[in-house]
Amino acid sequence: MDYTITTVAWIVLLPFFAFVINAFIVKKVPNVAVGISCAAIFGSFLLSGRIFFDFVFGKYSADYHVHKVFNWFDLNGGGQEFVMKMGIYIDNMTAMMLFMVTGVAFLIHIFSTYYMKEDTRYGRFFVYMSLFTSAMLGLVLSDNLISFFIFWELMGFCSYSLIGFYYEKEDAGNANIKAFMTTRIGDVFFLLGILAIYFQVGSFTFVDIYAAISSGMFTDATVTIFGFGLPLALIASLAIFMGTIGKSAQFPLQVWLPDAMMGPTPCSALIHAATMVAAGVYLSLRMFPLYEIHPFMLPFIATIGGITALGAATIALVQTDFKAVLAYSTISQLGYMVLGVGVGAYNAAFMHLITHAIFKACLFLAAGSVIHSLHDHHTHQHVQEMPRMGGLKNKMKFTWFAMWCCTFAIAGVPFFSGFVSKDRILGDALVMAMHNPYYWFPATLGFIGALLTAFYMCRMMFLAFHGEPRDKDLYDHIHEEKFSWNRNLPLLILALFTLGVWFSGSLTGQKLVKVASDKVEWFDTLIVKPKTENFKNYQKQNWGPVDIKSTISFPVSKYDSNHGLSEEEAHHVHSVHSIGAIASIIIAFSGIFIAFMMYIRKSWNPGWWVNTFSTWYRALQNKYYFDDMYIKGIIQKGLIPVNNFLAWVDMGIYDKYAIDGWEKVNRCAFTVSKWFDNIFVDTIAVDGTGASVRAFNVILRTFQSGKIQFYIIMIILVLSSYIWSLA
Amino acid sequence: MHGTSTLLNWILWTPFIGVVGVILLPYLFSKDKQDNVVRWWSLLNTIGSMILAVVLYMKFDTSVPGMQEQFAVNIAWIKQFNIFYSLGVDGISLPMIMLAALLFFLCILSSWTITKSVKGYFALFLMLQGTVYGVFLALDFFLFYVYWEVMLLPMFFLIGIWGGENREYAAVKFFLYTFFGSILMLVGIIALYYASGKGVDSFNILALSGGKFIDNQVHMFGTVWSFSKVFFWAMFIGFAIKVPVFPFHTWLPHAHVQAPTAVSVILAGVLLKMGTYGFLRIAYPIFPQASVQFADWIAVLGLINVIYGALCAMAQTDVKKLVAYSSVSHMGFVMLGLAAMTVHGMNGAVLQMFNHGTSTAMMFLLIGILYERSHHRWIVRPDGTKGFGGLYTQLPKYSIVFIIAMFASMGLPGLSGFISEALIFLGIYQKYTTITVLALFGLLIGAAYLLWMFKRMFFGEVIEECKSYTDMNAREIFYMAPLCVAVIVFGIYPTPVLDIMKSSVGQLVSLLAQFQ
Repeated sequence: MDYTITTVAWIVLLPFFAFVINAFIVKKVPNVAVGISCAAIFGSFLLSGRIFFDFVFGKYSADYHVHKVFNWFDLNGGGQEFVMKMGIYIDNMTAMMLFMVTGVAFLIHIFSTYYMKEDTRYGRFFVYMSLFTSAMLGLVLSDNLISFFIFWELMGFCSYSLIGFYYEKEDAGNANIKAFMTTRIGDVFFLLGILAIYFQVGSFTFVDIYAAISSGMFTDATVTIFGFGLPLALIASLAIFMGTIGKSAQFPLQVWLPDAMMGPTPCSALIHAATMVAAGVYLSLRMFPLYEIHPFMLPFIATIGGITALGAATIALVQTDFKAVLAYSTISQLGYMVLGVGVGAYNAAFMHLITHAIFKACLFLAAGSVIHSLHDHHTHQHVQEMPRMGGLKNKMKFTWFAMWCCTFAIAGVPFFSGFVSKDRILGDALVMAMHNPYYWFPATLGFIGALLTAFYMCRMMFLAFHGEPRDKDLYDHIHEEKFSWNRNLPLLILALFTLGVWFSGSLTGQKLVKVASDKVEWFDTLIVKPKTENFKNYQKQNWGPVDIKSTISFPVSKYDSNHGLSEEEAHHVHSVHSIGAIASIIIAFSGIFIAFMMYIRKSWNPGWWVNTFSTWYRALQNKYYFDDMYIKGIIQKGLIPVNNFLAWVDMGIYDKYAIDGWEKVNRCAFTVSKWFDNIFVDTIAVDGTGASVRAFNVILRTFQSGKIQFYIIMIILVLSSYIWSLA
Repeated sequence: MHGTSTLLNWILWTPFIGVVGVILLPYLFSKDKQDNVVRWWSLLNTIGSMILAVVLYMKFDTSVPGMQEQFAVNIAWIKQFNIFYSLGVDGISLPMIMLAALLFFLCILSSWTITKSVKGYFALFLMLQGTVYGVFLALDFFLFYVYWEVMLLPMFFLIGIWGGENREYAAVKFFLYTFFGSILMLVGIIALYYASGKGVDSFNILALSGGKFIDNQVHMFGTVWSFSKVFFWAMFIGFAIKVPVFPFHTWLPHAHVQAPTAVSVILAGVLLKMGTYGFLRIAYPIFPQASVQFADWIAVLGLINVIYGALCAMAQTDVKKLVAYSSVSHMGFVMLGLAAMTVHGMNGAVLQMFNHGTSTAMMFLLIGILYERSHHRWIVRPDGTKGFGGLYTQLPKYSIVFIIAMFASMGLPGLSGFISEALIFLGIYQKYTTITVLALFGLLIGAAYLLWMFKRMFFGEVIEECKSYTDMNAREIFYMAPLCVAVIVFGIYPTPVLDIMKSSVGQLVSLLAQFQ
């Protein structure tokens, strides 16, 4: 069966209809609303599953993609025509994203039925979740930048709503405005990038953009902004990448994500860890061929990624809030993905996106499971502070187990998924560094970040689950965790997929037969950087499923497609990669070891570090002062005074003197003109110009009289006087 | 063009029949019933008006680019001066007629709580509706001007009598500002009358169109000036004051803040569009070459509107003033679209006129609903205390509608504002890249002031004085619902509106393209 818009669109529409229906019934029957949401996402999961298996298990060749469009609206006139097309684009990457998003979202929906059950706005939460899932799936299926942007912004809205879910809290209002505005800075640039690309390519669709890139449309094109002729490829890539910086919380727009933890924990799992933030990286991967054009772009992306990866990891070292550690680890991991994009590790970045989505969703759900159990009977609040935890292992075995699996994954312990993907990114960074010494900088940042990641994640685990309970009263009130399907099953399923074997192995036998090379893993076969030359002869009119089997050329190794290396060099690269892998393993275990020595053996005192590097410690606690700089500096000292000043000028100066001042001017003018009236009235030609000046004075005189009746009479008089004057 | 159709006559005169009814009908009833008779009569009248607008929409042929012959009305009015009573409708005026019909109906519902001389209020309100229709339907320049001017009369009294504390100042200011512009327009009308030879067509807007006055000259201040340039600017200022374009915008915050809710809605929703409609119907078609020549100015002024309006809005502590400045900002986008003169830009501009009409009407209606409960509009009072707080908890339904209105207003994709803004940006990017880059920041600030306002009013604990507020009642929900549906439906599926306008706008773009 062919994929058509009507069949595929149900993936997006099921959750969307759930949102529409639930919006009306949520108050009356919240349980039904929850059921509808879960059923809808499960339906999407099944539909996505079909696509996933078709694409991944060898029904189609690796380069197969489906592209279907329909007209949204069209305009024409003045020899110009504008057709706004919308459509779906499915390739291997889309198929995997769909499967991951629906799968993770479904599990989070299930978990939410446990977590949100007692909340007064139980149903409303699912309304937003359905809308969010629908928007994310729409984004994944988008074939063009405009619909990508539409769903991108819709997710921003859902994020805004879910962060502000507890709207009684003043902080929720601060956090959601911060999240929305920060990401919107990126979005504005993203829109600019879309415009720049549109006017070069004449289309919004990815395939047309690829075709334009391969035909060299971007090579010498320039765009003039503020009088400077700038290379279009650079401006467009930077602008689009700004979208990623905003949405994926990269340096320097990372400030919103930690605050986004104000929302309910399951929404943190879905939006601020697993999917929405990954959309930024997904965009970067889709636009990767564009980034390659200008030599400045990839090193820049790698640098941003490296700085984010290390910077967020360092801040995570000093967090005491359970969710804050996870929030910073999310930023850090997103930094690795962006680093991966920057070093051209296309499939590794995408793999890290997938693996991270799974283990981070699991980590957040597990955090939710912990926080939900920790109920302070004095304040009636859930406890998130790690200093009040400790020893939780004994009370919640399943959560503890799932969380350790994910910790191993994120820390990069061999045989876990995070190792497979992160090691590839770092390995590729090393390879790039061999070619271009500049890359040593981001690569080093990445390696140091990996050490810190292992450390702070284990620190979190040790502080929360091991050792002695630090708040005895709190600890005693925790109910022993009993297996319940909606609490533990999602955790355990996600934990199962933190195993590296799913991603590194050759589970999909059929694909491997086709590949006929034992060196290549299934991910490398399926996720290949868009070969723009394949799209060169792509007929714009001939949109439909295109099977371009003839042009398939599988990469000999995963590197040659990226860097165009020969066999010999590829061998060399392989050895570099082995070094990278060994380094990664050593680093991961060092991090774990340090955490162990500090928090379990307590041989090393963390306090010593705090005292010795107290300036750094304060800087980390204040998140490197970025929030202070933005809020206190730019907004409170810059933007708001400027606004107040402008508003004051507008009403207090301009309106008061330049506009109302005419009253005084005309009062004088009127006195004078009354005096000269008899002399001048005859000399003024009875044409429109003269008459209007007179009319103006007449009217302004009535202004002083202040009698309303005058105005009516004046209109009638003026109108009739014109008619007469024309006679 | 000799019309026999009566539909446009009915549309135009129904509100005036309503006015007569409002004046006469109460005499048939006892004193205590009179107010309600007036209200119900006005409501029926606007419903009738809406039905007629729908009939017009059904009969409208979207494939015809120009004025639709089937609706034409053309009767000699003042024969000596070749002034005709001629009406017509095309794809640019129809969306405005539909918008006006809807908004007036909703405003009558929202004015149900008016108690101060009900009869006068509704009579003036219906009269306002009639004159608005007149402006959008008139094809005779003189007739256009008459409606344009007469419209000031009900507006003046509606603001001056039913307005807030400083109503008289605001009313006079509104009146004088607009009148100043009108006079410049009148000069232009008279000049055109002479330039076109005082013939049968000399007040006919359609006959004057098409760039006929390129070579004409005008003698002024001892020099020879290009006729089309001089009178383009005369028309420009006349319409710009209505839009309002910076630096002619300062009447708007005063008028909005002082006007009663329904009048604010009409002011922002319909009357501002008369300014941009003037560009599309008169300034552009009659002086296309000057329009093309001065497009850069229009673009720059549009940009100033967008940024300046948004920055000023951010500083406001009165929520109605904030939305008033946001109108300045959003109408700037329309001006940018007009400056683009491309097919995307112009369609985007007309669509933005329509979409801003619905979204800003929602904002003003919502502020009116709140004002009826609070009797103040301070986000932050002058003494620094909170005017509102925790409204989300106190008024959940109201908050949901407010969120829809707010996000529609800031152009969230999926709601109506986005498509028109995106089209406008597509339109101007190629010609004015730098302006596009700067205008995009208008989107950013636009989101900032709305969200900041929302945060300060709706989040947090419910403050003491807000605890007595009641959520929206059935009547209020009833009149908000159509607008909610409109902003959502046209956000997802803009085709119905675009279909109406696109051939007419396309024709105008083609005309302008000849002079590029």
